[in-house]
Amino acid sequence: MSENELGKKWDRCLADAAVKLGTGLGVGIVFSVLFFKRHTWPISLGSGVGLGMAYANCQNDLRSHYMIRKAEKET
Amino acid sequence: MAARILPVIKLTTKLGIAGGALYVVYDSGLLGSSEQGAVALGKAKAAVPPAVDEWMKYFGVEAQFPTLPKMEFAPLEAWNSGVRWTISSMSDAPTKAVDYTHQSIQYVKDLTK
Repeated sequence: MSENELGKKWDRCLADAAVKLGTGLGVGIVFSVLFFKRHTWPISLGSGVGLGMAYANCQNDLRSHYMIRKAEKET
Repeated sequence: MAARILPVIKLTTKLGIAGGALYVVYDSGLLGSSEQGAVALGKAKAAVPPAVDEWMKYFGVEAQFPTLPKMEFAPLEAWNSGVRWTISSMSDAPTKAVDYTHQSIQYVKDLTK
């Protein structure tokens, strides 16, 4: 993987992490206010889920360069 | 009758709001892949200044925030060059230490002559 490609992947990872953290936080706040009497745990759960999804996406993205895809294997 | 319907309406409204929020999040690709997340962040960054302008006009605040001065400093480049300088200094350190030792010994010898 070239350095440029790696740099772009990291940029995408960080942007994605910011988006998913914000989304998880927002959804957690909505659920906390509507259903859980403004407790903090849905907000923490939402943020954690968002960060976890971002981590999984980033891991997949960084590993994808080294994965041999079935279509490439057949050709 | 109203006392029985009100909690149902309240619950339905809450479910509607929560469901709507989840649908908006799903539809805008915020929970998708890294590329979709990066695109969504770019769209949000592009949408913030016009939205701020709209709100400022709505509230009658015409003051303009001073623009941030453009810095020519690139943190990544500075970090990379710092790492390179450190490693090259560390690799040159033994040779330079020997040279400086010889020079200092020579200097002391010259002083004692």
